[in-house]
Amino acid sequence: MTPTDEDLVVAFQSGDIPAFDQLVRRWDRKIQGVIYRIVGNHDEARDLSQEAFLKAYRALGTFKQEARFSSWLYQIAINATRDRLRRRRRRTDLSLDDVEERADNALRDAGPSALDLIESHDLSRVVAAAMAALPEEQREVVILKEYEGLTFPEIAETLDVPLSTVKTRLYRGLGQLRVRLERQGIHGGAAVPVPSA
Amino acid sequence: MDCDAIRDDMLDVLYGEGGEAAARRVETHQAACADCRRELADLRRLRGDLAHWRLPEGLGAPPAAAVRPRRLPVGLAAAAALVLGATAGLAFSGAEIRHDAAGFSVRVGRASETRALADLERRHREEVAALRAEIAAIRPTDDGRLLRTVADMIHQSETRQDEARLASLRVLRQRAETQRQYDLARMSAGLSYLDGKAGLQAARTTELVGHILQASQQK
Repeated sequence: MTPTDEDLVVAFQSGDIPAFDQLVRRWDRKIQGVIYRIVGNHDEARDLSQEAFLKAYRALGTFKQEARFSSWLYQIAINATRDRLRRRRRRTDLSLDDVEERADNALRDAGPSALDLIESHDLSRVVAAAMAALPEEQREVVILKEYEGLTFPEIAETLDVPLSTVKTRLYRGLGQLRVRLERQGIHGGAAVPVPSA
Repeated sequence: MDCDAIRDDMLDVLYGEGGEAAARRVETHQAACADCRRELADLRRLRGDLAHWRLPEGLGAPPAAAVRPRRLPVGLAAAAALVLGATAGLAFSGAEIRHDAAGFSVRVGRASETRALADLERRHREEVAALRAEIAAIRPTDDGRLLRTVADMIHQSETRQDEARLASLRVLRQRAETQRQYDLARMSAGLSYLDGKAGLQAARTTELVGHILQASQQK
């Protein structure tokens, strides 16, 4: 029978160091995926994922299983990502408007127009650009809910915020995404004719 | 119930959480509210769009260069590890966790030297790979040649370490000498200042004594 995360944590805490190897193999791709969706860079996602696992390795010995291992690990990864984004912001000193403008530019620079992408069944880049323009707090919640499939209580536990805050952030995030995708002529998976200016 | 109050229930329904009670509340509200009916339908379509965002291929896979090395006989593996360990010990610092096809590994030390260490490690990995290839080319029965090769590897490693240590010592000596000269210059400047102050005081005293003598003679 496959051991659960909790089994592996107990094994690690009892001195079975290779148990951590199994946890890493089990979670590496998911953690990299979450970080990638937040930072939008493959190398940075790999780097931050390593950083997160290093922190987890150091702290796992004293981890008390009051929280789920997955929530705890996501929390470490998201905190590491937040730190990195904060440092990056401090370096570039971007305003929210700058971020939005950059996302729009990224969309324009992505090559084919949004309509071309839709016609070629490739909405991926359009969605990625819309997501990049979301405020960080909303982006985290949307990603954990939409792509990681965490329940609302799990997200609240991971981000250490009340359940109502999770839902508020998600609702606002989805609202902004809807507006942005509609602005790109996307509505419900089909292109909506964009009125000429 | 107003639209704001039903919002949380609507999200529960959208993601299949909340159970039957929430579903009933949403259904009752939507029967009388066209806006919320439309909004839930829009959110469902939006979720369909969001599902198109794919992760790049290869995400989560180990780097292409990090492949599991072919297993060597214990003696050769130990020799290779000795070379790697001895040279890496020169500047072992920086903290990194690595998980690749070869498994999980942790490295501990100061972060400021991580890049230098990564370069060093990369060079050592290349050296070890070259040495492994060389060892693999040796016939298993040729123990004498094998031992000579291993001894040569260790000698080369020690030579590299010595050179690196000497270079570090040279830098340290240069820094110490610069600091010493700077300190001497400061001390000299301080003494000159004190000399100047003392000279001025002596001149004033002499002048005062002269005045006193002059005054006493006039009396």
